[in-house]
Amino acid sequence: MSSPESISPAGRNLLDRRQFLAHTGTGLGGIALSWLLNTDRLLASPASRGPIRPLINPASPHAPRRAHMTPAAKRIVVIFCSGAISHVDTWDFKPDLVRMHGKPIPGSNKLVTFQGEQGALTAPLYPFKPRGQSGKMMSDLIPHIAQHADDLCFIHSMTSKTNTHGPGENFMSTGDILEGFPSMGAWVTYALGSEADDLPSFVAIPDPRGVPQSSINNWGAGFLPAVFQGTPFNASRPIRNLSIPKGVSAADDLAARRALAAFNAQHLQRHPGDSELAARIASYELAAKMQMSVPEVTDLSSEPAHIRRMYGADDSSNATKQGFARNCMLARRLLERGVRFVQLFNGAYAMGEGVGNWDGHKHLAKQYAIHGPILDQPVGALIGDLKQRGMLEDTLVVLCSEFGRMPTFQKGASGRDHNPEGFTCMLAGAGVKAPFTFGATDPFGYKAVENVTSVYEFHATILRLLGLDFNRLSYYHNGFERKLTNVHGRVIEDVLS
Amino acid sequence: MKWMCRLAVLVLVVLTTGESRATEVDYARDIKPIFTEHCYKCHGPDKQTHSLRLDQRAFVLAGGDSGDPAVLPGKPNASHLIQLVTSTDPKQRMPRKAAPLSDRQIELLKQWIASGAPMPGDDTMQYKRTTDEWSFSALTHPKPPRVDAELNNPIDAFVVAKLNDKSLSLSPQADRRVLIRRLYLVMLGLPPTPEQVDAFVADPSPNAYEKLVDQTLASPRYGERWAQHWLDVVRYADTHGFEMNQPRNDAFAYRDWVIKALNEDMPYDRFVFDQLAGDSVGVDAATGFLVAGPWDQVKGADPKLRIQQRANELHDIVSVTGESLLGLTVGCARCHNHKFDPILQKDYYSIKAVFEGVQHGSRPIQLPEAERERRQRLSKQVDQQIASVEREIDMNGGNDGEINARRNVDRFEPIVADTVRFTIFVTNNGAQPCLDELEVFSCPPADGAPKNVALAGAGAKATASSLLPGYKIHQVEHLNDGLLGNEHSWIANEAGAGWAQIELPNPVLIDRVVWGRDREGRYEDRIPTSYAIEVAGPDGQWRTVASSPDRKPGRFMVDVTPEQAERIKQLRDRKKQLQQRLDKLNQRATVYAGRFEQPKPTHRLYRGDPMAEREIVAPDVISLLGSLNLPPDAPEQQRRIDFAKWVIDPANPLTARVMVNRIWQHHFGAGLVNTPSDFGRNGSPPSHPRLLDWLAGEFIRSGWSIKHMHRLILTSRTFQQLTKPDDKALAVDRGARLLWRYPSRRLEAEAIRDSMLSVAGVLDLSAGGPGFSLFKPNENYVRVYEPKTQWGPGEFRRMVYAKKVRMEGGPVFGAFDCPDAGQSQPKRPRSTTAIQALNLFNSTFTMTVAQRLADRIVAEAGNSTEARIDYAFRLVDTRQPTAEERRIARQLVADQGLPALARVLLNTNEFLFIP
Repeated sequence: MSSPESISPAGRNLLDRRQFLAHTGTGLGGIALSWLLNTDRLLASPASRGPIRPLINPASPHAPRRAHMTPAAKRIVVIFCSGAISHVDTWDFKPDLVRMHGKPIPGSNKLVTFQGEQGALTAPLYPFKPRGQSGKMMSDLIPHIAQHADDLCFIHSMTSKTNTHGPGENFMSTGDILEGFPSMGAWVTYALGSEADDLPSFVAIPDPRGVPQSSINNWGAGFLPAVFQGTPFNASRPIRNLSIPKGVSAADDLAARRALAAFNAQHLQRHPGDSELAARIASYELAAKMQMSVPEVTDLSSEPAHIRRMYGADDSSNATKQGFARNCMLARRLLERGVRFVQLFNGAYAMGEGVGNWDGHKHLAKQYAIHGPILDQPVGALIGDLKQRGMLEDTLVVLCSEFGRMPTFQKGASGRDHNPEGFTCMLAGAGVKAPFTFGATDPFGYKAVENVTSVYEFHATILRLLGLDFNRLSYYHNGFERKLTNVHGRVIEDVLS
Repeated sequence: MKWMCRLAVLVLVVLTTGESRATEVDYARDIKPIFTEHCYKCHGPDKQTHSLRLDQRAFVLAGGDSGDPAVLPGKPNASHLIQLVTSTDPKQRMPRKAAPLSDRQIELLKQWIASGAPMPGDDTMQYKRTTDEWSFSALTHPKPPRVDAELNNPIDAFVVAKLNDKSLSLSPQADRRVLIRRLYLVMLGLPPTPEQVDAFVADPSPNAYEKLVDQTLASPRYGERWAQHWLDVVRYADTHGFEMNQPRNDAFAYRDWVIKALNEDMPYDRFVFDQLAGDSVGVDAATGFLVAGPWDQVKGADPKLRIQQRANELHDIVSVTGESLLGLTVGCARCHNHKFDPILQKDYYSIKAVFEGVQHGSRPIQLPEAERERRQRLSKQVDQQIASVEREIDMNGGNDGEINARRNVDRFEPIVADTVRFTIFVTNNGAQPCLDELEVFSCPPADGAPKNVALAGAGAKATASSLLPGYKIHQVEHLNDGLLGNEHSWIANEAGAGWAQIELPNPVLIDRVVWGRDREGRYEDRIPTSYAIEVAGPDGQWRTVASSPDRKPGRFMVDVTPEQAERIKQLRDRKKQLQQRLDKLNQRATVYAGRFEQPKPTHRLYRGDPMAEREIVAPDVISLLGSLNLPPDAPEQQRRIDFAKWVIDPANPLTARVMVNRIWQHHFGAGLVNTPSDFGRNGSPPSHPRLLDWLAGEFIRSGWSIKHMHRLILTSRTFQQLTKPDDKALAVDRGARLLWRYPSRRLEAEAIRDSMLSVAGVLDLSAGGPGFSLFKPNENYVRVYEPKTQWGPGEFRRMVYAKKVRMEGGPVFGAFDCPDAGQSQPKRPRSTTAIQALNLFNSTFTMTVAQRLADRIVAEAGNSTEARIDYAFRLVDTRQPTAEERRIARQLVADQGLPALARVLLNTNEFLFIP
């Protein structure tokens, strides 16, 4: 019987990367390539200033590809606080907000924001203290993250274009508030492929409580080929359809796979020179590899007790925290194995206002008392763990949220409304200046006023850290050279080390 | 993108001399030197950065790419030129990267503009844009080249002529097994059955293939397959998208309309017209096109952001209309003149004005006249029956019974009413009360039917004590709009209390009030449980005619005997049945096809910013291609009618070209223009321009018949070639764009799933109606879509009938490049991933279908393993297995049984590829 390795020489040739490159200009590989790129226009030469569309081998679309320039970071983890975490209660300290507690925002009387009229300025609900050598003020809601203050770069002057969650998450994850644009992870794996040949190159890890508010759109491929979309799984929910079907033994499954490979090899012999056929054969081989490697990476039992304790994965008093801690450990393990892009969600869809995520409109204290401990220790441990393993040297850590919250309480409520006018995102790790603070909001934390920046610039900066030129990485779709940052963007040079 | 050459040029067409006015500022002395020194380097006769020229008045008035006139004569402070030279933003301020103009210079410019901005010699000059873009030029109607007497299909003549230029030729014709499989997969998205293959292979008639083509085009499966291509373009889905992503339960009528239109070969010009303005010709479902895109249900209180949301909604409509019907990226001109194509920013807002009155939402489907009359007649009968039952209940001393969420009748002594008030004191859950409709029935004359006199359409007016703010679906006007259900209801803004009132146009004798909270029966909260109904007559006196205590269960108007009580119970049951029948007759099905209202004027927006309104623009088309000559306040529907007529005018150079290219694309995998929604300068040029124009001309000549185009293409030799590659041809044309072979390709997600079910013999071919779900039920207000993992006949319809959930690819098959319906997808990418392999090899769906396929083989192929293996290959791949395949299959069946072979065959490349 034929083994999966015994596909025809023609097929083998197609799967060979060098052969593929040799064929690209005139030969076989290009047939499917033009399909994959959804265009038959020529690739721009790297010397020009024109768009760069990476050369992709359809048989191994995740093969590592060269960055546009020397990258600071080889891989990235994006920790996304879904529901809009309050920057004024965590890491954007505003003494005037304490001083003016109970008074209206000067000059913004009867301010109407997303949910309606605003009440009085309200001091942070948690005391702030200086942290680390740098003395960065951070609140007691996040004591573990605060321990790493000296490794963090704060961008306090973020702004967004929308004040609703769906479009806000879309914007932060895809660069557009509308639906259907490729996520940042899809762009990055489209550009760079992956160093892991037996794992997905882009993994989205949903919160143990469920998917985030914009769900799949956070890790979708949009109009990029589906091969670049994130694969969602976490420490408790495996990849769908990864395991051998119920009732089929491993030996039988292998025999079935071999029969399939043999049928496909025969078919390929009858239809020589079609790289798409060869790519499908290869995809079953990669799938088989993933069936071995994914269970290994998601099996956290090999992690020593002190590591589990560090993450809070042993905290049996808090199941959600335990689940999120396990997700953080999974994130580290994926990064260790060369996964290019890991997206780690803290917070799920809304299951009631402020239940399930950071959307604390009405009872912020009560809700953040739940969400804070879930986030804090596991993320603090993840940063510390990456550092102690030397991985911060070439790994970029991003902590973000779709927008921030108001320094006021909503009229007649004990929580804060959405605030896209000024909020905080953080960077840490490879290529990032730390400890460092960039930009500032006004004295109350309402609007960004100093070095005002945007999601576009944040994205451009992240791409730069990964060695990519935001202005050139593109994909042709419906009449546009589409880019992550659309026609906007600028690298925030100040935050680069 | 500077390497792109510009195509729009400005041409001066009228040159007349006007007179200069004497002013304090002299252009030649004061202004021209400023321009010469600071501006002409970039905005003069030699160079026009951002298309701006300042040396001729016409250009100054037209402005550059921003879409703003550089100068508004008489209005210095509003003039763009002044805004730019005085800007404090270094990214905006002109002259760029140079010292700013002096205060004196700026003052001179202002004075000059204030005085009317005179420039010598040219102040009545006009300008016109022209273009050399091929797609904007009229169809050329080329004659097919004469290449070979045997090629009598013009398509082949064009293709072969082009191949001959490169010393290439068509590949040999494929055999009949390949042809029928290709034809079925391309046209129907399903493989042929073994019987169909045998019949075709054995057909001795010389026109066997042509007959097969005709049969295929006549199959209802055709519309189901090809509708998907169009639905991709219009980003159709059965949910709203964004954070909440709730279902759009009545969108499917549009999907069904598209399928039906294709199956009936509706002329494409009508197909387009109906989608833009079908409401004007009684085709309601068709305008689902306008609102097929995502819609954010979450509307904030911040007015600025609400305006932005609305601008984005209209942007989506304008963009997709331009891309789908015209192949133009009109959306690119939202913030400035189009960078590549001759589309002005003003044109974008003109088209926006066409759609400015389109709102997302559902509307009732108008019934055909005969059906409406039939229903009216029947409902009158049923209503009379109900009235007689109610009278009998009355006579027995009963009443209407318990309050329910759906529909309640309060009957009272006939009274002449001017105004009817429904006052609520308590609701069942203490929340603000909700009414979906408040109906007041006239007391019929002996021979007439009772009539709901409360309808707004009949002139009545609804008012209420308050309104829960912030919800489009809850409005005071919904009390008497004739539309039922929560989506068209009123909710008060008082906990457990409130009143609603109907002022009748004329005093009328009434005897009933009918009310409900949600006649679709989905909601059971907010039900008034304590209320009173009062009537004011012409004398202005209010009288309570009915109230909730009358209705308490078991309570009767008078003492009743046990017999009477029993009779009342029977009557109430009878009434319930009649009522259900009446509801059904009165039910007006709705479709998510938009709501139309007369809009406010449309303004051009500087840089696309809704806060930066510029001049008012009238509804119109791309100025280079014509004008509708409508006033800015033209009636809403008229705008869409006229726009549609312009799109489908045979003189429109784009419409036919764009559509024949789409048709071509789905036969060969790529269009002649490989950027099917971009026929502009940034798109790819046609591989066969003459063929494209010939096809477009033929399309129009045929009366816009899509099936005629199919027939032409399918019967061409070009379509019937082998797929086999050829080294020589590969070296010249690797992608087979010149069509020296038929390009093989993987099937799309829907066709794979449908084909699997079809070969397993379990495909449910019931057509139309509400879709089936691929996801588990979920009622969270932010919908969570958890894929089903068990599959049965309820999910065995064609995938075009699966409820399309926006942004969710769908279990198992989403990974096969299924569009997410976020953005228009005129051409699906085709990627190959390990996730696809896992899904297709391991999913419960595949295992279920494999088992069904095995069952079918056992039932139909008899007991011999050999016969079963043969039949499996015939079903799945429409051919006999080779000896080697048979050997492998035998081993597999011996070790693991027939379902394992079925599982493997459903995963083979051969099954998934168009041969």
